[in-house]
Amino acid sequence: MSSRLAPAYLILPSFFLAAFIILFPLWDLSQLATHNVNRFGQIRYFSGFENLLAVLDDSLFYQSLWRTVLWTVGVVGGTILLSFPIALILNEDFAGRGLARVIIMLPWSVSLTMTAIVWRWSLNGQFGLLNKTLQDLGIIGEPIVWLASGATAFPMQIAIGILVSIPFAVTVFLGGLSSIPADIYEAARVDGASPWQQLRTLTLPLMRPFINIALVLNVIYVFNSFPIIWVLTQGGPANQTDILVTYLYKLAFRFGKMGEASVVSLIMFALLLAITLLYTRMVIRDEQTR
Amino acid sequence: MSKRARRSIISWLVLSPLMVVILFPFAVMFFTAVKPADEVLATPTAWLPSTIRWANFVEMWQVTGFGRALLNSLYVSTASTLGALIVAVPAAYALSRFEFKGKGAYRQFLLITQMLSPIVLVLGLFRLSVAVGLLDSVNVLVMIYAAFNIAFAVWMLQSYFATIPRDLEEAAWLEGASRFRTVIIVFLPLAVPAMVVTAIFTFINSWNEFVLALTMLRSAESHTLPIKIFSLVAGRYTVEWHHIMGATLLATVPVAIIFGWLQRYLVRGLALGAVK
Amino acid sequence: MMPLNGRLAAQITAASAAALLLGGIATAQAAEVRVTVAEYSSATGPYFQEAAAAFEAANPDTDIQIEVVPWDVLLQKLTTDISGNANSDLAIIGTRWLVDFVEQDVVSELDSFMDDDFRNRFIATFLSPSVMGGKTYGLPIAASARAMYYNKDLLAQANVDGPPATWDDLVTTAKAISALGDNTFGYGLQGNEIETDVYFYYAMWAFGGSILNDDGSSGVDSDAALKAATLYKSLIDDGSTQPGVTANTREDVQNLFKEGRVGMMITAPFLSSQIKTEAPDLNYGVAAIPSGGANGTYGVTDSIVMFDNSEVKDDAWAFLDFIFQDDWRSKFTRTEGFLPVNVAVSQEDHFQNDEDLKVFSAVLPDARFAPVIAGWEEVADTTVRALQRIYLGEAEPAEALATAASEANRILGK
Repeated sequence: MSSRLAPAYLILPSFFLAAFIILFPLWDLSQLATHNVNRFGQIRYFSGFENLLAVLDDSLFYQSLWRTVLWTVGVVGGTILLSFPIALILNEDFAGRGLARVIIMLPWSVSLTMTAIVWRWSLNGQFGLLNKTLQDLGIIGEPIVWLASGATAFPMQIAIGILVSIPFAVTVFLGGLSSIPADIYEAARVDGASPWQQLRTLTLPLMRPFINIALVLNVIYVFNSFPIIWVLTQGGPANQTDILVTYLYKLAFRFGKMGEASVVSLIMFALLLAITLLYTRMVIRDEQTR
Repeated sequence: MSKRARRSIISWLVLSPLMVVILFPFAVMFFTAVKPADEVLATPTAWLPSTIRWANFVEMWQVTGFGRALLNSLYVSTASTLGALIVAVPAAYALSRFEFKGKGAYRQFLLITQMLSPIVLVLGLFRLSVAVGLLDSVNVLVMIYAAFNIAFAVWMLQSYFATIPRDLEEAAWLEGASRFRTVIIVFLPLAVPAMVVTAIFTFINSWNEFVLALTMLRSAESHTLPIKIFSLVAGRYTVEWHHIMGATLLATVPVAIIFGWLQRYLVRGLALGAVK
Repeated sequence: MMPLNGRLAAQITAASAAALLLGGIATAQAAEVRVTVAEYSSATGPYFQEAAAAFEAANPDTDIQIEVVPWDVLLQKLTTDISGNANSDLAIIGTRWLVDFVEQDVVSELDSFMDDDFRNRFIATFLSPSVMGGKTYGLPIAASARAMYYNKDLLAQANVDGPPATWDDLVTTAKAISALGDNTFGYGLQGNEIETDVYFYYAMWAFGGSILNDDGSSGVDSDAALKAATLYKSLIDDGSTQPGVTANTREDVQNLFKEGRVGMMITAPFLSSQIKTEAPDLNYGVAAIPSGGANGTYGVTDSIVMFDNSEVKDDAWAFLDFIFQDDWRSKFTRTEGFLPVNVAVSQEDHFQNDEDLKVFSAVLPDARFAPVIAGWEEVADTTVRALQRIYLGEAEPAEALATAASEANRILGK
């Protein structure tokens, strides 16, 4: 093979497989979004922006959009804030570090659906082991019915979301920390920098790209995450925990509004694309200033 | 007390609240799974069962058809991992050894593939799988999982490949070996550890996937583990929690062990590959 | 791309064969009939497998494929299947969805296959919801009604003689039982997931209301509906229900009842069979839903339908004819805890003499079915949303119900 074309031969198989599986459905969605579609997804006739207007006319769409922002910011923010110090600790040399790392990574190895099922069972108002434990410890007096209102259910869902997102962020941060050469800290110590100053002036700037990638990938995953909210509350009660994916799922499969659901899918994709482009510019600016 | 001992104690103390929360669901799984059926919904609620009933696992295995689902999950995860590796290894090699036009565009494309979650695409993917005539076949899942795992596989492999010194390959070229032969004889043997780690990562992703499996698979014989377990909860008139928790535990523990064992290799690859 | 073992290769072949059949290129092999069944309990799958095996033994030319689907995802699955033109030949559906299927021409009418003899196997009340515009589109496979379960011991402890006959009685009884303390609750009120709206209709119907007015507009803003919602809200405020109503699904409330912690609840016959195996010592009774001037209970059927694009309609019908024989129906109805839909089955001793089932049979004349309107699921969802806001104290009953009614009217085009 000629070496000018070699990269193409090497890359194309992966490109075609991914494009086939991912771009074809995207095209299909845009068809559904611009047509009148019956409840079984059978396309009837071209209807332009009718589906889009119907979505934009629904107050639940805006509620879900707003809650998606809360959900994403809450989970990703909490994850990053918790994961960074955890990664710093796990990067230190201490007895049993291997075991500690394994425990922190554990939630990653359980399917989200199963995690959510276990939590649903644990959060049961009458029979749940969470209430039982909190009561035994004297933290709460009466059992709390966690899933009865959005006020208790949604923070709980965000907390579970953080818990399952920590392993990924910690992994990325640990990788980043291990790539920072130890001698620059030596030099800083010689110059009399306190550990806090070292963290601020050395670690944080060097970790910038890793924080960026953890942020962007987490935003993508959390924004699209379905099982935790669906299994725990299905977006209820009274739509108080609905985010865009659960709203989309109900539109498509419960109310049979395929066209509108496709519009929501595409809006979500556009939002993520915008966030990612922003990220790319951020990284480029980052590299230029360095 | 030595400095290291003090640091160890502080580290564990700081991490312990989070660890309790992480281990809590596992404790719930275990203690619910071994409870006799009539104690699962007893009042007052108790952590410990009156007797540990290991027979629950045997019953669960028979009642739920766990074995068949386990085989399906093993097949889907293994095959999709192989599929993802077969296309990702050349791509990662290209990214780490060549400069070429479109390199940036290809990376952007990989990121975009990560932006479309299965739930958003599920309808389109379903229609696609009907179009290729592979509905209710676990092989359609193999293809889709492989595709969704390409981005991560390429990222991780590429970061490892970058650490494999070029000198060895260059030495082989000087001795007159072709580029292709060099890759097979020199490069790939060195890349085996990287491929193993990547494989584990994609294996676990496929092992845990839910939404697509739920949509594509029809008959009980083709169900994978997450679907099997979900079907025990969803909309039945009565939910047998001790069986569900037993099944969840059995589906999770082997993966958790492998994962724990190999997590340190994940650390490097994942982070570096995604950034570079 | 990757090596396949024999079984998997066979699976692929089978899948492509099915695709060929769907594509209209019928082969000369054994006809394959695919049947989607809803999973009611862990016994559902095995029952249909057994029936399929028995049928195949008698009809070696037909191959029955049973596909068991959890209830929660049945509608999603059918939707994607039909969307991809990959639906089965027969499927169990909630009869309340049938009108959507009929309007979109995806199901086949069955009258051409049926003679009067076959038709007369069914109890007319249960067959009629599957008949639209004079044509039969489904056969009732499962039927159920609702009645009130009450815990005799708790009622006795609270010095109440018997189950409440009216909703006023229910309020005082519930209060008395909740006053016993010790984590016992008077009235088990369902406030989440499937049938949350129905739990409210029981009271609404009793006060003379109905889901739809005569002109087809929503009736959830009627005086009767307001009275029912206000009553439920006052029960919650008085502590006469279990706490956290909006988290409690039907199954959660049933679990509390089985534990002897709830005095009264309204649910289906299958709770009786669950109690027999899971809580045999529970001292309970079954009574009609309290009256509030009028009487009403919820009747519900699931139907089995045949899809219009099926290439093997005759074979599919043969299978239907087979499973609607009395002995197969009897077995299914008993294991799942439903009410008989076949006349002959209803006359069996089991159904004639069972104390609980007698009550359910007695309330059947008052049974009301979900209205036959397109978009019913969405209308029901607006009602559920309004109820949950009321139960949570987020909205006044009158305001929430008025909003629900106007939204429902928009969906209904009224």
